[in-house]
Amino acid sequence: MEAILSSAFEQGLLYCFMVLGVFITFRVLDFPDLTVDGSLPLGAAVTAALIVAGHSPALATLAGVGAGLCAGLLTGSLHLLLKSGESDSTNYGPKLLAGILMMTALYTVNLRIMGKSNIPLLGVDGIFEKLGALFSLSFIGWNLVAAVAVLALLVKYVLDWFLHTEFGLCLQATGDNEQMIRAMGTNTDLTRVVGLGIANALVALTGSLVAQQQGFADVGMGIGTIVAGLAGVIMGEVLFGARSISWVLFSVIGGSIVYRLLIAVSLRLGIAPTDLKLLTAALVVVALSVPTVRRKVVRG
Amino acid sequence: MSVPATLELRGLRKVFFPGTANEVVALQGIDLALPAGQFVSIIGSNGSGKSTLLNAVAGTFAPSSGSVLLGGEDVTRRPEHVRSRVIGRVFQDPRAGTAPSMTIEENLALSLMRSRRSGLRRGVTRRRRAIMAEQLARLGMGLEGRLGAEVTKLSGGQRQAMSLLMAAVAEPGLLLLDEHTAALDPKVAATIMDLTAAIVAERGLTTLMVTHNMELALRYGDRLVMMHAGRIVLDLDAGQKAALTVRDLIEKFHAVAGEAFAVDRMLLE
Repeated sequence: MEAILSSAFEQGLLYCFMVLGVFITFRVLDFPDLTVDGSLPLGAAVTAALIVAGHSPALATLAGVGAGLCAGLLTGSLHLLLKSGESDSTNYGPKLLAGILMMTALYTVNLRIMGKSNIPLLGVDGIFEKLGALFSLSFIGWNLVAAVAVLALLVKYVLDWFLHTEFGLCLQATGDNEQMIRAMGTNTDLTRVVGLGIANALVALTGSLVAQQQGFADVGMGIGTIVAGLAGVIMGEVLFGARSISWVLFSVIGGSIVYRLLIAVSLRLGIAPTDLKLLTAALVVVALSVPTVRRKVVRG
Repeated sequence: MSVPATLELRGLRKVFFPGTANEVVALQGIDLALPAGQFVSIIGSNGSGKSTLLNAVAGTFAPSSGSVLLGGEDVTRRPEHVRSRVIGRVFQDPRAGTAPSMTIEENLALSLMRSRRSGLRRGVTRRRRAIMAEQLARLGMGLEGRLGAEVTKLSGGQRQAMSLLMAAVAEPGLLLLDEHTAALDPKVAATIMDLTAAIVAERGLTTLMVTHNMELALRYGDRLVMMHAGRIVLDLDAGQKAALTVRDLIEKFHAVAGEAFAVDRMLLE
């Protein structure tokens, strides 16, 4: 039980950066960004390739995050091309297409970076081993949970600060009422591109850390990221509330942990790992349709 | 903060869906000049081109031909968000002017940031909060005590009052009012209109107000422009319009437009 708990917390915290990224695109920017399915393995691929080539894990992790940033900026730029001048913010077609195109393109990019579909990191030190050597600790179990929790808190506070800067407020308003913030003189094309960049940098951070923790990068490890991210966001909001941005950032991290706990329990109950994606998708459908169903029931 | 600007439209034309069966000439070459600080009401029936005119000035789309000069500068090719730094705008829909899931103070901070590049300084500062509280207090709606409340919790009238404040607080060179009281109930509409007049007068803002309410157009503003089928058909100065009643205005309209008109709707308002 203890082991299940620590492993669920560990996974939940490692994946919380991805969930925060999905939160930024889906909720803050109102941009359902499918790039994340490609930018998560991108972070892993860049990091693994650099570590295997003998670079320091810290540098490799940063490079992975940077690659995610670039992927997000590209998705944003692609969206500008596809939306063809219209500034109708409720037009999701070009947004979805930009993400789908990037996700597909990134599959090839990731394979090219890795040179094969899987890079094992066994026997080479990742960032957790290096950190462990620094503090003469071994970062497994609860020690790892604590280390990632510190990083998650740090990221949470930086995001919180950023979203309340002048630029951050403009970014929030871009997803909330684009017409209004354009009428205030903000270039929403720019805020959206930057937001997508930051979100995918966070997603790539998860990819990079997960690869180093599990000891390999795999080209298929990003499949279903968007749905898992959504599940985390929704569970966080439902269970812990969304009263303000500062609060909901915590909620989303909590949602990520609860989601991984649920997965751990499902596996324990004998559900096959290969069935988890269907289960997650069903979970998202149920969570998203609850308000609609409730409204219909109330109206009779 | 900018000073009230002059506005000049030269031969402004706008054709929608050119070259198709749905081609519509919405503006047929508009010439209009506003000195700095003038408050002009534009009236006209649906489809007269008055909202298209406002959109062309704001830069929502580029005109088919002609030019827009703001403060003597040709801004015809400048994108909307660049023009927005000196143009404040209030829309008909009270939901259009504010970001619903952000707080009152965050919304107002956005409006105070207008006209300059947003950076990585904190958006809601103590100094800005003091300005907001002072400005909100003048609305007499008690919003100054609810700075941290989400805008979605406000009524339509409160939201429109905030939109107006947000459009005017950074003292834009030009204020565009797009039927901004049409969606409100009569009592709230009157409050918002009085507030508009007070803010425009106090700051001497160059203002274009589009309305299809003739009474409003007669009561407020220094000048009245009537549009029909994409043209300006009547242009009255303060002296001329002071002598008119709504009935006179309708007769004048018949004389110029020379066709049946949706009189009943206007009389009702």
